[in-house]
Amino acid sequence: MHIYAFGSVCRGDVSINSDIDLLAITDGHDSRFDPNHYSIYSYKRIKELWQEGNPFAWHLALESKLLFSSDQNDYLKSLGDPARYGNCVGDCEKFYALFCEARTSIVANPDSRIFDLSTIFLSVRNIASCFSLGATEHPRFSRDSATRLEAFSIKISTGAYQVLESARMLCTRGHGSNISTAEVNIAISELDEIDRWMDNLVKGAKSHERI
Amino acid sequence: MSEFNNRIAAQRHVLQLVNKKRLGKEELFGLSSKAIERWISVNFINPESRLVQLVKEASAKLFFLANKSQEQISDEYKAIANEIAAITKAIEIELIQPKC
Repeated sequence: MHIYAFGSVCRGDVSINSDIDLLAITDGHDSRFDPNHYSIYSYKRIKELWQEGNPFAWHLALESKLLFSSDQNDYLKSLGDPARYGNCVGDCEKFYALFCEARTSIVANPDSRIFDLSTIFLSVRNIASCFSLGATEHPRFSRDSATRLEAFSIKISTGAYQVLESARMLCTRGHGSNISTAEVNIAISELDEIDRWMDNLVKGAKSHERI
Repeated sequence: MSEFNNRIAAQRHVLQLVNKKRLGKEELFGLSSKAIERWISVNFINPESRLVQLVKEASAKLFFLANKSQEQISDEYKAIANEIAAITKAIEIELIQPKC
């Protein structure tokens, strides 16, 4: 069994909203680990992620710290670098599609609007992380990766960005004040800009792949 | 659609069914355990109710799929996806009952 911390606490990038991301690598089911507090992976799955060059493998390789090892070894370190990340275009397209589905839903149906805003935040963060890993020299895995892409950073109002982030907190941690219709509309007013930004990242990823 | 995006769509479907019923002052924001606990608490929903059991079951199945490896997906994913569809249908039926 191996336990790691990863993410913001390892980058020193903490805020009042930060949680502590914990990874448990186990052989088979281990009832000691609550999936609400740990990301739980088997050794087999971790190896697969490494072989795929999956962004999560790169995230762990670059931003994790060993907390406990049952065999005194740093298992993730022993795997070396993950394989080259080769699915940047596919992943960027996937998260762009996720954004488009959430956008369609929020316009068509009021009964999942906070979830849709949360999904938009997720798609924005993840496309930024994938783009940074596959098409730039500086992988960004933070919650605010979309604002840390230098020339490619998202350009929406702080208010709209905060609404999206608050929606994410409500949906994942059940934490924070409810979001008003006025706030929802602030975020909706920026959806065209987010669409253009994501489309640009997909094009940038394709262009980088051709080089 | 990717498996990841499918899971999001399945979550959205459950939330739309539940929230359409307007069970209290605050909607169900997501299917994480903390979002479900908040929904129960803020809206004074009976945590032992059939609806809560079904929502928690849908949540558990969806999050269970998240860490599955690709080779397991073909058969196991299909089986669990069918189970989620059945749970979603059960939620829909539960919400038709006058007691909710």
